[in-house]
Amino acid sequence: MNSINVNRMTPYMFMAPAAIILAIALLYPLGYMVFGSFREWDPSQSIGEAEFVGLKNYITLFYDPAFRESTWVTLRFAFWVVTIEMLIGVGLALFLDRNIRGMSFLRTMFILPMMIAPVVVGLMWRYMYHPTVGTFNRFIKSMGFEGVDWLGQHALSSVIIADIWQWTPFIFILSLAALQSLPKSALEAARIDGATPWQQVRYIKLPLMAPVLIVTALLRLIDAFKVLEVILVMTEGGPGLSTEILALRISRTATEFRELGVAAALSTYLLLILLALTLAMFAYTKISELRAQRIQAAAEEGY
Amino acid sequence: MLNILKSAGIAATAVAMMAISALANPYKDYEGTTLIVNFPAHPHYNAVMKILPEFTKATGIEVEVDQLPYLKMRERQTLELAQEEGDYDLIAYVVFSKADYVYADQLENLARYYMNPKLSDPNYDPDDLIDGYVYNIGFAGGNKGYLEGKTGSLFGIPYGSETSILGYRKDIFEKHGLEVPQTYDEMLDIACKIPQLEPGMGGLASRAASGHHASHAFLLHLAPLGGRVFDDSWNPIVNNEAGVAAANALKQIVDCGPEGASSFGFGEALGSFLNGDTAMFLDTTIVAGQIDDPSKSKVVGKVGWALHPEGVRRGSQTGGFGIGIPKNAENKEAAFLLMQWLTSKTGDKLVALAGGNPSRFSTHEDADVNAKFPHMKTFGEALKYADPDWRPIIPVWGKINADLGTTLSKVLTEDLDIKEALDGVAERTKGVMEEAGYYTW
Repeated sequence: MNSINVNRMTPYMFMAPAAIILAIALLYPLGYMVFGSFREWDPSQSIGEAEFVGLKNYITLFYDPAFRESTWVTLRFAFWVVTIEMLIGVGLALFLDRNIRGMSFLRTMFILPMMIAPVVVGLMWRYMYHPTVGTFNRFIKSMGFEGVDWLGQHALSSVIIADIWQWTPFIFILSLAALQSLPKSALEAARIDGATPWQQVRYIKLPLMAPVLIVTALLRLIDAFKVLEVILVMTEGGPGLSTEILALRISRTATEFRELGVAAALSTYLLLILLALTLAMFAYTKISELRAQRIQAAAEEGY
Repeated sequence: MLNILKSAGIAATAVAMMAISALANPYKDYEGTTLIVNFPAHPHYNAVMKILPEFTKATGIEVEVDQLPYLKMRERQTLELAQEEGDYDLIAYVVFSKADYVYADQLENLARYYMNPKLSDPNYDPDDLIDGYVYNIGFAGGNKGYLEGKTGSLFGIPYGSETSILGYRKDIFEKHGLEVPQTYDEMLDIACKIPQLEPGMGGLASRAASGHHASHAFLLHLAPLGGRVFDDSWNPIVNNEAGVAAANALKQIVDCGPEGASSFGFGEALGSFLNGDTAMFLDTTIVAGQIDDPSKSKVVGKVGWALHPEGVRRGSQTGGFGIGIPKNAENKEAAFLLMQWLTSKTGDKLVALAGGNPSRFSTHEDADVNAKFPHMKTFGEALKYADPDWRPIIPVWGKINADLGTTLSKVLTEDLDIKEALDGVAERTKGVMEEAGYYTW
């Protein structure tokens, strides 16, 4: 009897260390953040000394026009960045998935931007966008056109361009890896059936790559919500609040306004938005998988 | 040659210091102590690093410096000061940290050190310290809680403080027969004339980027134009006539400024002046060293200095750093000795000669300092008008400042109506103040 119990316990005992580490490393900081978000917490106080204010931070934020603007900026930024990066990244991968001489060298070159520290990327682009001495405006002016006020009137687009430059390679290498691991038989069959290259991409490659692409898009989306350094260095959120994405607002709330409680509440909001997006994305995959299964089942029945 | 002179000066002072210490040595009990201090990476503190060995030589007290970028420094200090026992014996703090640190009871009141005959140097001459700086940076608990007043006392000493000054291109002004502007009207007029006289050149380089940059530039004009952020009962009055005039001045300066001026931070504004893209620069005195440095500047020898122009009154900014002793410091008395030495007449002159910003009137008039830095006399004159109340130093200022800065940035880039924008700031500020308890009485 006892030995049966022990046997049953064994797997749990082996899992225990991992579970404990997970609880400490993941849940504790998260709990700390949520706990702090219910308090009016100044950085000079320890969390215990901070006054409990219930949902006040959340309610204040909800009605705060700056927070709403920030959220809107973040959503727009994330949408454009992920969409354009996916298009270019996957496109590049489809285009370069062939045997070209020096391919491995090219691939390394392509992923270089990703390896540069974000602060450096920010500084680099800030100077390239500089109205008078920047590379872009000098080039545009040498062609005889008016200079563009990159970080002034077109700040959000300029920031989006910089992010695309840095992170498209990430999508590119993941898509390329996915492409190269596709089953050769399916492609061969398609070719024998006379599928054009476009049809191969549309009906064979993209659907087979879909699981990887969804995860890739999700990773980029999560990252896009948290970009901080590049924007901080390039525009500091300006002009006005036009590039102040949530991560930047959180950082300013904590350091400039010295309101740790509000910053924690902001982080919780950000977490909730991301969670909702992630769940929606997984739900979508699940539904399309089920649909595919139904179609397959129906097709098999038809035999 | 200058270097030789400088080292000779330092050596002579050091010898003098040693001669004094040979008579009686107030530092004896603290010999061999190692102080850990936190200084920012900043031109003034780079000069301080050069003179610290002199302190160790004169006193036998070692100093270990943790030099951080100044925004990082504040974060670090917030963590350090909240601990039971801190790492730092002496810290340099930015002026707006004063409110937070004193309010959280994290800085030593300096009274008991100046009262202690074993520590306090009778030749220190505190009256020689620049009034505006002392009240702005070191003083707390007086009028409005952060100004000079009967109820206040001293928590820090200004060190590496700065005021605003107008730099102008002598060659350009001469070429077009322009007079150096004395008033705001003259300055704004010239600022907008320059782009016509010198195509491609901006009038006046100013900070204007969203956030604290725009806010700083606005406040710079607010005080001389007769405005304040709050009235005496803490009601926001940024949206009154003077406020609108200050915002108008800022807008005019940016519109007549160099290309892309609306996204300039301090670095870009200074850069455009150093690069010769603008004819005037109205900002902190700390830039003087860089303007005369041929490796950084294309305008060496072409820049003249004048007082911050007068609006309805004179009022230049006060800012920069002070030094104070944390409540949780380990070697408070030795830290006080270092603080006293650095800000003494000897220390102040040494740091000025090494390229720092002096905190004493006498240093600004000193012959050696003036021989090396001829602009020092104008700077000394400017200090008489340094306004300690050009911006409020209260704990909620960070939030109000950010709102003011982003709103002004919208005025500059999105053509928001100035009066409406400032009304909005005033209304939101009122809410922040209400919540912080300023209208309890």
